Amino acid sequence: MDFGFSEQQEMLRTMARDFLAKECPKAKVRELDKDELGYSPKMWSNMAELGWQGLVFPEEYSGTEASFVDLLVLMEEMGRNITPGPFFSTVALCALPLLKFGTKKQKAEYLPDIANGKAIWTFAFTEQSASYKPSELTLSATIEGDDYILNGEKLFVADAHIANYLLVVARTAKSKNPEDGVTFFVVDSKAPGLKIERIPTMAGDRQFQVVFNKVKVPKINILGTLNKGWEIVNFTLQRAAALKCAEISGACQAVLDMTSAYAKERIQFDRPIGTFQAVQHKLADMLIDVEAIQYLLYQAACSIADGEPSQLQISIAKAKASEAYQNICIDGITAHGAIGFTYDHDIGLYYRRVRAAEFAAGNVDMHKEIIAVEMGL
Amino acid sequence: MDFKLGEKEKVLIDEIAKFAKQELPPDWKGTQLIDQECTDFDFEVSMSKKLAQKGWLVMSWPKEYGGQGASHLEQTVYEMEVSYWGIPGAWMGISGIQWVGPVLIMLGTDQQKKKYLPMIASGDKDGYWCTGYSEPNAGSDLASMQTRALRQGDHYVINGQKVWTSFAHNARWCWLMARTDPNAPKKHRGLSLLIVDMKSPGITIRPLPNYYGRHHFNEVFFDNAKVPVENLVGEENRGWYHLMQALAFERRSVGPIIAGGFRRMVEDLAQYCKETTYEGKPLCQHPIVRQKLAEMAIDVETIKMFAFQFTWRLTQGAIPVYEASRNKLTGDEIMRRFATSAAEILGAYSQADPNSKFARVRGRIQGAYLGFPGNMIAAGTAEVEKSIMAQFRLGLPKSY
Repeated sequence: MDFGFSEQQEMLRTMARDFLAKECPKAKVRELDKDELGYSPKMWSNMAELGWQGLVFPEEYSGTEASFVDLLVLMEEMGRNITPGPFFSTVALCALPLLKFGTKKQKAEYLPDIANGKAIWTFAFTEQSASYKPSELTLSATIEGDDYILNGEKLFVADAHIANYLLVVARTAKSKNPEDGVTFFVVDSKAPGLKIERIPTMAGDRQFQVVFNKVKVPKINILGTLNKGWEIVNFTLQRAAALKCAEISGACQAVLDMTSAYAKERIQFDRPIGTFQAVQHKLADMLIDVEAIQYLLYQAACSIADGEPSQLQISIAKAKASEAYQNICIDGITAHGAIGFTYDHDIGLYYRRVRAAEFAAGNVDMHKEIIAVEMGL
Repeated sequence: MDFKLGEKEKVLIDEIAKFAKQELPPDWKGTQLIDQECTDFDFEVSMSKKLAQKGWLVMSWPKEYGGQGASHLEQTVYEMEVSYWGIPGAWMGISGIQWVGPVLIMLGTDQQKKKYLPMIASGDKDGYWCTGYSEPNAGSDLASMQTRALRQGDHYVINGQKVWTSFAHNARWCWLMARTDPNAPKKHRGLSLLIVDMKSPGITIRPLPNYYGRHHFNEVFFDNAKVPVENLVGEENRGWYHLMQALAFERRSVGPIIAGGFRRMVEDLAQYCKETTYEGKPLCQHPIVRQKLAEMAIDVETIKMFAFQFTWRLTQGAIPVYEASRNKLTGDEIMRRFATSAAEILGAYSQADPNSKFARVRGRIQGAYLGFPGNMIAAGTAEVEKSIMAQFRLGLPKSY
């Protein structure tokens, strides 16, 4: 049993931390908040130069063959830094399923461009009910010659405005079991009939309604097997949940660090407020949650890296992390007092991202239900 | 990074399961997780002896003292599984295994090691220990204890009172902390650790039943009780520092014990929810029940990871300080959530006494429900543990 990261992973962490501190200070985060694109193309290509987007790809697709745990380290640092941009959409939600389920041809076509920072991808799954249940998938894809015609609507699709491709989960057949008849399509974002509208959100991140009006997609753009896409959904959501947890983990550590630092420097009643047990005990609670997220997540990530069944551990980590992230932010803000409620203070940047993080790859209730199923209930 | 158990640990888990199924009565209710207490002392001692014969009782001690030189990880797994199965007699009273043995191995004289370690390692009832720390006016502020042990010739003469002394009524020995220098400039100097024979004249034990009537605690009165000077552990007046070491040993087991016992309770409760019909369908199909059980599963995993992380820190040569507080506090919070949530699931049946035919889930929910507030106080209150974490991990100023 070993709770430590390897020397290489520690190096990756340090490198990522330094890079992000330089390229994406909080002033930059705020600037991107109001920016038209919401991300920095220059930072994106610098990340690609460091090999981040292709971190876990094999060399033949311009990657560095790092492990899932290495990717976790990277995402923890991005979460700590709350780096805006399409990394999660592109890598966690799209590149990993492409790598696993793509044909040789598809992988050769798409993955090197992702690794080189040339292509941005996003995942289009949830619809009106904003649920990840198979029964809620209604966007239809019907065959017409060598093409499928997609009709319907996706909601809360991140980064659709800058994506070159969308990985769209559609219904290709109706059947008694809603998990059957689900198919993945690679859709060019410039395809005629595809219309996007921004959903303004509290985090200032970029989420969209994407309407498909007779969007034509060639048959060869199916990822995996026709009607058997639910397996890919599971694969994708599991990994995405773990990697979103990694972002949460980094974010929570950052909130704990800044609150702890503030408690040492803020003077009231002639002494640092960190002298007061009411403040200390709040911080101790935050610390416990931060460590719980870390170890639950690391266990899940190692299990994924080893190719073992990991659903239970992932759902445990994601449910815990989503709840704790919210509590840690609220405790952190209240420990700061009024300054924590201001636009200029960084802590609000973290709190505003709680809802999106909870929703990503399944909310708390969904993961608790998965845990119940895994327990045999 | 690697979270897998080795072959050795897996074999150990299987062997303990086999042992538990073979040696425990089929209707065994388990020890109370709260205090590892077994109401049948003779049975408890018989199990201690069997654990000793298996070579498990003091497995982490060096071979020369009857142990196996087992690794920290094996010891952790052993403690988890013993707690999971509710095997009584594994601790040799409250302190024999967990901190008397380890501290004696570190600080004891050759004579003390020769005399006391084999008694503990054998599983005999003469190897059962209680611990005398708390006093009526020394709880969280332990260093203000007043019980005196004043040297007279080749004896210390002890006068004073200890309280919340778990297991004193069955223990042969007391691991006692007392004031040997009343004039020391600071209160935590001038304290010493002593080994006291509970059969000595001048010692009176008075039961102090807890609020649900169980006899676990005692008051222990010392009226000119004599202790030979060779029973001093470590250095005279350095007892406080020895005690810190003993507490570190004590706290190492908190994580594994709760992780194991709690996992079993959640499994049993989940099973009950599958087998029980409520409003026309299995209890476990009710969404609220499912959510509650899922939350318990998250807690099971959390305390398990904390226990293993602590163990890993030990293997790294660290002396985990705040981690011990983290594990203790997390264990307490988890038990609180479990007991209240499980009682809600059981509804009216949660009130039924454990031995009555109306009891559910082997009566263990009631035990947990009544017991957890006590557990939250024992070995350091939540307030004390949180302050330790804030100071030792986050570097905040000392607050008291």
